[in-house]
Amino acid sequence: MNKIFFIAKKELLTYFKSPIAYIILIIAIAIFNIFFFMIVDQNREASLKDVFQVMEFMFVFLAPLLTMGVFSEEKSTGTMEFLMTAPLTNTAIVLGKYLGVLFFFSIMLSMTFVYYGIIEYFGTPDRLTTLTGYLGVWLEGAFFLAIGVMTSSWTRSQIVSAMTSYVILFLIYFSISFTKYFSGSAEIIIRQISTWSHLENFAVGIITIGDLVYYLNGIFICIVLTRLSIENRLWR
Amino acid sequence: MITTKNITKHFGSFQALKDVSFEISKGEIVGFLGQNGAGKTTLMRILTSYLPASSGTVMIDGDDIAKNPLTIRQKIGYLPETPPLYTNMTVKDYLKFAAEIKDVPSNQRLRQLDKVLEECQLEGVKNKTISILSKGYKQRVGIAQAIIHEPKLLILDEPTSGLDPIQNLQVRKLIKNLKDQRTVILSTHILSEIEQIAQRVLIIKSGQIIVDESLDVLLKTSDADQSRELTLEEVFVKYHSEQSEERHE
Repeated sequence: MNKIFFIAKKELLTYFKSPIAYIILIIAIAIFNIFFFMIVDQNREASLKDVFQVMEFMFVFLAPLLTMGVFSEEKSTGTMEFLMTAPLTNTAIVLGKYLGVLFFFSIMLSMTFVYYGIIEYFGTPDRLTTLTGYLGVWLEGAFFLAIGVMTSSWTRSQIVSAMTSYVILFLIYFSISFTKYFSGSAEIIIRQISTWSHLENFAVGIITIGDLVYYLNGIFICIVLTRLSIENRLWR
Repeated sequence: MITTKNITKHFGSFQALKDVSFEISKGEIVGFLGQNGAGKTTLMRILTSYLPASSGTVMIDGDDIAKNPLTIRQKIGYLPETPPLYTNMTVKDYLKFAAEIKDVPSNQRLRQLDKVLEECQLEGVKNKTISILSKGYKQRVGIAQAIIHEPKLLILDEPTSGLDPIQNLQVRKLIKNLKDQRTVILSTHILSEIEQIAQRVLIIKSGQIIVDESLDVLLKTSDADQSRELTLEEVFVKYHSEQSEERHE
């Protein structure tokens, strides 16, 4: 159990030792700031609802950048051999790495708490809605990162890993746009697969079991698949 | 310490190891010899449980590697051919991480860290980022990582590749110092090195063990038609040419 945290700690350390982490942090926060200003300036309401939407959209692009190296880099440099011959279970390796990435993402997200401070100072925002909104954004980010970690475990190349997760993320994020071409149960399935249909509720302050199950299941499936692909020795 | 029975390993249709069986007892230093692609690294990877064998059993210190891989990994220190280093970490951070995931108790971690830094002469670079170190230093960080948890069995895949003669000597000394406490398996292309440290030699050719002999016996028996003792190099060449002649006939 401890070892999961050791791996997570190492993963986090690796992020902050490389310039990529800072570049992603700075660019993401800068873009969020710009949109926060534009949205508040235009809507003139004390709500982060639209800001959350922008964040969610940005995560589609950010998550693969954060996760592309998680496993593929270890494989290409040979450090995977180091991890796999240390007394670690495969589950500990996968969970440790995922937690490390998730923690980095949480740090990034927590930097946007200042927006809440600003709207709280100038207006009277609905606290609960903001809270559930953050939960939704965090869950979506966590799901996207799990997908990124999974694709990273499939390949030695960071580029291939990032491209694969872009394809998957685009599919599940934008699939709602295709619902008009389908009808019946196919339409319902496509609507349910899309993250769009699950985010809306969080942003207006509703937490439903269905939405929670969607994200938690998604994360769980990705982690299980990651573990399977680590166990699969084909790439060694 | 190690007992292997009939290990075979296939990669697709390619058979990397055929019926490899041997025993290594505690405290021995054994050298794996063979040409490139003979199967040395594959065999080492199976012994470290990194790769599963296609068939056959490996028992290490009384445990079956297929059943208790985690307990066995605690007892093994492994240096792969390319040292597995996180190049953006500092030497100290990296070794600390190695100690953490290799079950070194938290109250002994710092002591072990200092010990391997001293043994591998890394004190001067402990706060440097690994990526800027020279190859010799990187190799020694790799060795430090392998011995930090005081394993009973040390498996070193070409531990001296890329080292200058002085470093080479130091690494050999290090391995010799280790032998009182543990069993060492190493592979190398530099035969004179094996002559100096190993007590026993396994020559692997095309996935099969063709010689399993203590070094003294090997060098003595091979000189039946010559008055002087052979060098290991001559023995090695002899075995490899003999076999290819047989094949031509």
